Formats: sequence, structure tokens, C-alpha cells
Amino acid sequence: MSDVPTNPPPSAAASEPAPDSPLYIYAITGSDHPLRLDGLRTVGGVGGSLSAVVRGGLAAVVSLAPPELRPKRRDLTAHQELQERLMADGAVLPMRFGMLAPDSATVGRALEEKSEEYERRLAELHGTTEFNLKAARAQDDLLREVLSESEEARRLNALTRDGNGTHEDRVALGELLARQVDARQRLLAEQVVQQLSSLARARVEGAPAKDDFLNVSFLVARAQAHEFTEAGQRLARDFGEGYDFRLRGPLPPYSFAA
Amino acid sequence: MTTASGTQPVAASSSSGSGTAGLYDILELILDRGLVIDVFVRVSIVGIELIKIDIRIVIASVDTYLRFAEACNRLDLEAGRKAPARLTDIVGDMVESGARGTTGGAISGAVDGVVDAVGDFFGGDDDEEKKR
Repeated sequence: MSDVPTNPPPSAAASEPAPDSPLYIYAITGSDHPLRLDGLRTVGGVGGSLSAVVRGGLAAVVSLAPPELRPKRRDLTAHQELQERLMADGAVLPMRFGMLAPDSATVGRALEEKSEEYERRLAELHGTTEFNLKAARAQDDLLREVLSESEEARRLNALTRDGNGTHEDRVALGELLARQVDARQRLLAEQVVQQLSSLARARVEGAPAKDDFLNVSFLVARAQAHEFTEAGQRLARDFGEGYDFRLRGPLPPYSFAA
Repeated sequence: MTTASGTQPVAASSSSGSGTAGLYDILELILDRGLVIDVFVRVSIVGIELIKIDIRIVIASVDTYLRFAEACNRLDLEAGRKAPARLTDIVGDMVESGARGTTGGAISGAVDGVVDAVGDFFGGDDDEEKKR
């Protein structure tokens, strides 16, 4: 097997990397992708430029691996901006940040070994984009709601206010609140997901961070991206004050690439 | 899966990821999702593991219970939210920023340190813009 592709796409702006250098891998895309990579920064910023390893119908976008790699803002942004550039011209499988290969031959082999899988996935993702939605509800509002609906919570709260009550009383109150808050957050998450799912082809739910109750990614047809954004805005409006919705997109399909 | 649309740029009005606040919100996608190829090496990055700790608090601990109880005891029971949300604010929050103004409180305190630790990996190289 040659380290140098015998059939580079004539339209590709990117060139083949030096065969023996360790590489940082950004994404896999179709070899017919125009790969307009000019002006983009590389992860690690060690100079040199972005290039492509092409095998059959697939191209992996790479650059020389930096000697040291940490998830700095500059590097995360470089990784992300490259995905955004690629997705403007066609389907892309974004790599997780930080993937390295010892040389271009290893990259080429990886493309060949799973070429059917990657090509199928690219075809499935064609014309789609990812939206990520995170949502939180103000904790005080949740607690007030529990108090208003639970006589036991009101009793324990009155008992333990101003430093009164026993340790056991406080733990009992806290346990009741924690259980109730968790249940209410789960219900909220279900409601939100349900309202947006009809506009999505697929979804992946992640662990909500901190006081969020929701962290979900949707795969949406690009033709419906605007509609999806509007639906998200409508939903945020309907839930109203005390809620914090953060909708991001259109994004590279990180959650649907694997 | 059928694909009806082409690959023209999408004219959606929501922000994509590379803004300052936006990057923070999609950090987990960049670091923890995306395609992994097992013959490649994932560079060992201090900080990537930290982000995974930053998940919703495990409910079942006495410490958590006591923080909930304390937050509840401190509530001003008379003060509720009365005014409906102003449309522009909500839309603005959602599209432009990741502001967390409406949430927070005693219960989030435990993981703030972790978030700050992850935040330190940003801005170590350029402007000290941090989310928090």
C-alpha cells in the first residue's frame, strides 16, 4: 500500500501531507468535497497547512501534529471553524478533538478499513445539521413550586427555618426537595424534547451540566434549520421567565458522526 | 434516511459555535463527541476528563440534601415571579448568549471549582475571556 494517494481529486485545494509526520485529524469527508481550506488556522498552530489524505471515496483532513496539545480556546476554535467550513460545502464526519495518527499511511488504512461505514454515514448526514439545546430552570422557582404543592415540605421548612429543627429534620427536608426537584427536571426535559422532536430526524441526550435539566442534540434537515430555530425560540418564550434556554446551531454533527 | 436538501449554507438566525459564549456551550460536543477511530491515538489532555465531572449533581448525598434545605430556608416565600417574560429578552438570551443569570444558587456551588478548572484551559494562550 502506498503512502501517497494515486488518485487525488483534481478539485482538492489541499495537498497530501509529508508521509512520515504525525498528524492531527480533523474530519472525514467525501473525496469529492471541494475542501476549501485556505485561511483556516491549524490546531497547535505549528505552521504548515491543512492537507488531506485521500483513499477511494473518502478524504481525511489533517495537519502536522503539534508537539504538545492542550484544549486551549485557540485550538478548540480552530478545530470547530474547520468543521464549519467543511459543512458549508457538504457532509462531514467531525472527529473528536485531539485525535492523532503516527503517519499518513495509518490515516489511509483507517479510511480503507471502514470505508463502507464512513461513506454510509456521510450519505445519511448529507443535508443535515446538529442543534444542541441546554436548558435550566431557576432553582428558587423549583423550590417554591415544591413548597406550594407539598404540605410536608412546608411543614419541614417551617420547622427548620432560622436555624431551628434538628439535623434529621433538615436532611428530611433536603431529601424531599432533591427528589421533587429531580422529578420536576426530568418532566421538564421530557416536555421540551417532545416539543422539538417532530422537527428532528434523530436525537442524542447527554448528561445535563450543573443546574441544567436538559442537554440534548438534534439532527435536523438543513432545509428545516430555520424552522427548528424558530420552534426553539417559541418554546423558550412559552416557558418564560425563570428558564434559561441555550440553543446552538447549525453545528457540525458531532453527536451523530459515530 | 432520505436527503431532500442540498448543501447550501443555512440562513438560520441562531448562532453557531465559535463565538465566545457559544464555544463554552459546545465544548462538550467538541471534546466528548465526534468520531473516534480506534487506530488513532487520542492525545491525553489534562482537562478533558474534568469536563465530564461537571454533570448534574448526584442527588443522593447528605451534603446535597443540606444545601437544598438551606436554599429552601432562605427563600423569600412572598416573592414570586409575577411579570411574564419579555419577549425580546428571552429571544436575545437564547440566540446570543449563554448567560446564566436566572439560575444558580446554593446547590450549584459544589461544582463551580471544577468549571473554573476547565475554564482555565481557555485563555491561557490568548485573551483571558472566560465564561464565568
